[in-house]
Amino acid sequence: MRNSAIIFALAVSSLGASAFAQTPGRKLDFPVDSPVLAVSSDWSETKATPRGGAYVLDVHAVLSLRNASQKRIRGVTLSVLAQEVTPGGKGSVSVPSLDIAPGEAFPLRIDLPLLCPLGAGGPMVEVRLDGVLFDDLSFYGSDKLHSRRTMTVWELEARRDRKYFKNLLETAGNDGLQREILNGLDRQRERPSAGVQMVRGRSTNTDPERELQFAFLHMPDSPVDPTAGSARIAGNEARAPHINVQNRSDRAVKHLELGWIVKDQQGREFLAASIPSDVSLAPGKSAPVTGDTALRFSERTQIDGMTGFVASVEYADGSYWIPTRGELNDPKLRNIVAPSPEEQKLYQIYRKKGLNGLVEELKKF
Amino acid sequence: MTGHVNMAHLALYASGDAGPLDRVRIGMHLRGCERCRTRVAQFRDDAAALRETSAKMPEGVDWARLSAEMTANIRVGLAAGECVAPKKPRKVPVSIPMMWRPIAASAAIAVTLTVVLIGGWWLNMTPQDTQSLNRSLQALLHGRRAMDDRGPVIEASQEGIELRKDGGRLGVSQDSAQLVTVSVSTQGSASAHYVDQDTGQVTITSVYAQ
Repeated sequence: MRNSAIIFALAVSSLGASAFAQTPGRKLDFPVDSPVLAVSSDWSETKATPRGGAYVLDVHAVLSLRNASQKRIRGVTLSVLAQEVTPGGKGSVSVPSLDIAPGEAFPLRIDLPLLCPLGAGGPMVEVRLDGVLFDDLSFYGSDKLHSRRTMTVWELEARRDRKYFKNLLETAGNDGLQREILNGLDRQRERPSAGVQMVRGRSTNTDPERELQFAFLHMPDSPVDPTAGSARIAGNEARAPHINVQNRSDRAVKHLELGWIVKDQQGREFLAASIPSDVSLAPGKSAPVTGDTALRFSERTQIDGMTGFVASVEYADGSYWIPTRGELNDPKLRNIVAPSPEEQKLYQIYRKKGLNGLVEELKKF
Repeated sequence: MTGHVNMAHLALYASGDAGPLDRVRIGMHLRGCERCRTRVAQFRDDAAALRETSAKMPEGVDWARLSAEMTANIRVGLAAGECVAPKKPRKVPVSIPMMWRPIAASAAIAVTLTVVLIGGWWLNMTPQDTQSLNRSLQALLHGRRAMDDRGPVIEASQEGIELRKDGGRLGVSQDSAQLVTVSVSTQGSASAHYVDQDTGQVTITSVYAQ
């Protein structure tokens, strides 16, 4: 009898807690002169549940957007906000590698968990347009998330990779293209990855700390060259990377992104993180690139070595440098660096539609 | 009624000890059931044989003394059992002074509500919360440091990306698309690349620690 009462009470409380889940308010905030318009939106699966002193917002939405501009759209980034200044209150969704003609509609799916503090007014999700990238590399948007830079790099990578596969199709035919796609799929399947946690500032690791030097992969065409660097290592944690870079081009550099490869005690290497940094680097000058972040790997991982390489560079005049396919074909990078979003898209088209579908896609533009 | 009357009821019926309703019910059954009638007859024969045997007990037995000895033996057995049995706590009646009774009642309600709320929370815990709680308990049990729950932690793995804060874990997942890669930026964000299986459209979802 007593057990039945307890089970009944728990069941009632369970139902009660489920009943606390509510539909949050939502707002699509696109500027009046926005080059994309929301045609429709479905938020039916979005819900907010109070937990502790905050709401957990499980945002699931499908938006249908229309290109209201006169140019073809290559990428869109939306910021999704529950509370801009709360950790976990901000997210973003980007769709690169698009080719949306004027007047054409396209779907954009948002699946994101967010946090916002309990307070007056209830939970609210706000979706803002952070940026739109066009086929002429012009940009529209508030760019609060630096989406101009990231989408431009994705677009340059897309052009590089499409050109590479189109050339392959022309020179090596269908068989050559298929071989390369199958090799790429194999690399993608076998690409090593390790779970990594990122903590801002200093972590709580109490293991003795040591300094470990970076090795560097030098790319012949890179305008920036890393010269020396190290990070603090304690057990399975690496923190405070400090890398000196030199601008060997004749143009000023304002931003660069380094790749950080980690080798464990078994000799396995994987891409741990990217280190983006704003710099003011005149031609021939050097500057340090630092990070106040700690990376923590699984407890079994001991960090035995680190390698850095330049992943992208933005010049002060707004133009960019990215590695060529040849440079990415370095034996070390080939198996570690993830394919670009465009390459991922082409692989999926091959999986879904076969070689003919891929050839058709490459002939589109 | 299906089948036959069970043996215990038939025995009671045969000895005349069945209740009035059972007597009527069994009597109606016996009219149509040869097997049960036979059993009732057997019970009655046995009872008669027993009476006959007991009537032949030896004369001169002091029944009163025999009864007293048996009773004494039973009491000795019970007392010995009490001595070797584990000691039961004696129930002491709780007497709450009148002035404390409202407070006691409030406390009882509060405890009940707490149990109900904790139960509800437990039943609604996500697997991620369970893992987080488990990790914290493991850290406490083994004297290790707890994995940083002081500030926001972003975790990227083959399962996707998660934001952890104050012991809570928030995961990013897309049911309709395949996760192809995750990346971490030292500026405080992690991104997951999903590819739509039908169209190949790539969606990159990012969460920010700050």
